[in-house]
Amino acid sequence: MKTPWQVMTGGDWLIVICLLGISLSGIAWLATAPGGTRVVVTSGGQTVFSAPLDLPQSVDLDGPLGPTHLVIDDQGVRITDSPCRAKICISMGPARHTGDLLACVPNRILVRIDSPAGGEEPYDLLSR
Amino acid sequence: MPWNRPLIIGLLMVLLALTWWRLQPEEKEIRRSRLMMGTVVEIMAGGLKTSKLETAVDAAFAEISRLDKLLSSYHLDSDVSRLSQSDGGGKVAAETAEVLALGLDVAQQSGGAFDMTLGRLKSLWHFDEEASSVPERGAIAAALLGVGPAALALDGLEVYKQTPDLEIDLGGIAKGYAVDRAIAVLKEHGITSAAVNAGGDMYLLGQRPKRPWRIGIQHPRQKETVLETVQVRDQAVVTSGDYERFFELDGIRYHHIFDPQTGFPARGCQSVTIIADSVALGDALATAVFVKGPEAGLQLLAGYPRAEGLIVAADGSLYSSPGWAAYRVAP
Repeated sequence: MKTPWQVMTGGDWLIVICLLGISLSGIAWLATAPGGTRVVVTSGGQTVFSAPLDLPQSVDLDGPLGPTHLVIDDQGVRITDSPCRAKICISMGPARHTGDLLACVPNRILVRIDSPAGGEEPYDLLSR
Repeated sequence: MPWNRPLIIGLLMVLLALTWWRLQPEEKEIRRSRLMMGTVVEIMAGGLKTSKLETAVDAAFAEISRLDKLLSSYHLDSDVSRLSQSDGGGKVAAETAEVLALGLDVAQQSGGAFDMTLGRLKSLWHFDEEASSVPERGAIAAALLGVGPAALALDGLEVYKQTPDLEIDLGGIAKGYAVDRAIAVLKEHGITSAAVNAGGDMYLLGQRPKRPWRIGIQHPRQKETVLETVQVRDQAVVTSGDYERFFELDGIRYHHIFDPQTGFPARGCQSVTIIADSVALGDALATAVFVKGPEAGLQLLAGYPRAEGLIVAADGSLYSSPGWAAYRVAP
């Protein structure tokens, strides 16, 4: 009995190579897909800061009233200092799930957790 | 036929099927946020064409902006500001009248726990600024003079104030109404899956691809914890809590949800979450239940068969209305 390799014709090999090529292209495309969860900060409709949620850092972001201080750590992202009067943004605590929002309305700073990969989160929106 | 041909043909068919599947029109979802009505308004909408979604979402934001100019006390020429400045009331827009009618109804049903006449009291506490001190008791008593559901009357589009210095505040209902109207605009544009969230007052239209919307409810004392998750479809979810606008003095927490009988922050609850058919109703009920406290709040909810509530009492214990469990997602 002939082995599989012995019955393969040139055309068969061409098809197999094409299929392999398409599969590898797909894998390469998936590898270049958008990465992980990010913190995105906008002010006046413009993105003013973007960083991975898993990269601890702190940053001052300027708004009309002055700098809003943002900290990214193992709890998520949170506003720790703000020039606004009511400080509601600080009392909102950390955000860490895709779709979570923090905002300093007087200082026009909007912080959102974005996940381009669209992973399944425990909830779509947070009611608070 | 050699035995390997069916194998290759099979592989080709699998590849064709995958290609066909990938070329199917994919459900798109857009998510836009703007700072409006003194909070963050976020709209998510799903559908097949991004351009159609963008148009619909822009129209919904425009509707919220239009209503803000009617219902907010921040705008000096809004209906609300004009009413507050007037001696005896005046004619208002149909939308303002609709909000007032619903608000007056909840005010009556709740025995005045929901109250749209606390404008002077709220100004006194300065919660829109950096509130950090308790007003004088005399000033609080003065701010409560002449307030209550009976101080305001509505006849068609005509509003009547009982006293000239009565100040209207729609903070406990206007945002919810604006969300309801934004949802109506999205529907007019043919959108069947959307969420509009104005600072925690939200409506969930339709569902996410293949499942209902899942809404996390913030734990009132543990900021990083979700108290419960609920699944809803074509319903509003509204939470009122004592943990976002507050200050502490001598170990006492002073927050922005006031008991109209005392002029001080209501003490019965830490948070109240309502599921209802409209955000405006949910908004008003959340405040009313918060003010009344857990037991009386649940009694109030019993009068609204299509509304359900989850209450975190002042001591941290949980209360819920009989139908709440149907929405709960198992942890």
